[in-house]
Amino acid sequence: MLGQLIWWTSITLEIVLLARGFYNRLMYRYPIFYSYITLVLLQDIARLSAYHLKFSLYKPVYWGTEFTGLVFGSLIVFEIYKVSLAAFPGAAHMTRNALATVFVIALVKGLLDASAGWQPASAAPEIERALRAVQAAAILALVALFLLYSIPFGRNLRGILLGYGLFVGERVICLTFVSLQTHNFWFYAYSASYIGALSLWIGYLWSYQPNPQPRAGGTNLDDEYQRIATATQRWLQGIRGYLRREVRS
Amino acid sequence: MIDSLGLLVGVLLLLILMVLATKGWMGARQLHDPPAGPNEGELPEPCPREFVSMVFSRTDRDFVHGLNSRGVEQLFQRERKKVALVWIRQTSALVRKAVSEHAFAARQSKNLDFLKEVNILGQFLILITSCWILTIAIQTAGPVWLSGLANYAQRLSQQVERLQGSFQAGILATAKGTRVT
Repeated sequence: MLGQLIWWTSITLEIVLLARGFYNRLMYRYPIFYSYITLVLLQDIARLSAYHLKFSLYKPVYWGTEFTGLVFGSLIVFEIYKVSLAAFPGAAHMTRNALATVFVIALVKGLLDASAGWQPASAAPEIERALRAVQAAAILALVALFLLYSIPFGRNLRGILLGYGLFVGERVICLTFVSLQTHNFWFYAYSASYIGALSLWIGYLWSYQPNPQPRAGGTNLDDEYQRIATATQRWLQGIRGYLRREVRS
Repeated sequence: MIDSLGLLVGVLLLLILMVLATKGWMGARQLHDPPAGPNEGELPEPCPREFVSMVFSRTDRDFVHGLNSRGVEQLFQRERKKVALVWIRQTSALVRKAVSEHAFAARQSKNLDFLKEVNILGQFLILITSCWILTIAIQTAGPVWLSGLANYAQRLSQQVERLQGSFQAGILATAKGTRVT
């Protein structure tokens, strides 16, 4: 009963989100995000049909659509990166390197785990948890850099980031404890996490609000950067010495 | 291992995003022209030097201790703790300001130096962590005890350095002696 409620609520909220996106033309500004929502709506309908018409097909349909959604979800992270950092080449350069580092670490870890032993019986949930953890690490790195470089966000983009980030974080936690055999708290929390994200998206994407842009024609930052970076480095070194000296005095 | 690591990342992400959502960070930021950043060779200090050195000094504490008044001693310790905490807070705010001024210039630069940025980020994290540790230490034990501990640690590390030096000298002497014989 609760499962059916979660299912129908998700479908309704997805339709509302898509309708609003079409009406306020946000669909054209964030095409990857709205393609993802369309895909999830279609996969919900496919799962519901399999569940009611031919239950033996449900498991392969579920995992097939789940991984397609996961791959498309990663593209949302790319869209957030592309839109938010379009006017900030320096921060974009740092973010590219940070994301590459996260993926290399995840790849090495994945290879090490695979060489330690592979169990096909529990493969699908295990793979999903590992991939969601990588997604979570990538979003975490992205958010840390956005905060460090004070990247300004418009309401719409902030909503996409918050909704998808909270959804991924909750999925990682639920997948650690969920049992696919018994329907316990974590099973329903795992399914309901998406409703939370959808509600947040509807709230933040109800109407269009532009992203703040930096003013053009300011100081020539390329010439200034090297000087400022060297000065900051020296200053931080100096303050470290100062802290040590004063506490020992 | 991967379970706990993944779980940690998930929990951390959830917490940070919840704080972002409730505090409204990333939201209504105004985009000003970037400030010039810290000047070379200039080290602005949060408090005058003679003032800060007295906060961690034993001289005043010994004097108050000599008065044999428990009330005065307690009042002295409370006040010193407050002043030391204000100093740490000011230092931490200065560090954050310097790094945010740098970030203003860095985020729009096309010639960003990745290694330099990592170095600055590392130094920033060390300093902020040091400020947190100092705050906890001052809250729990007081500034004078902290100063004593820092001095003790310094003496200890100097002793270790001296021992290491004499050990290396001994090894060199032995090696020379072996070669000669």
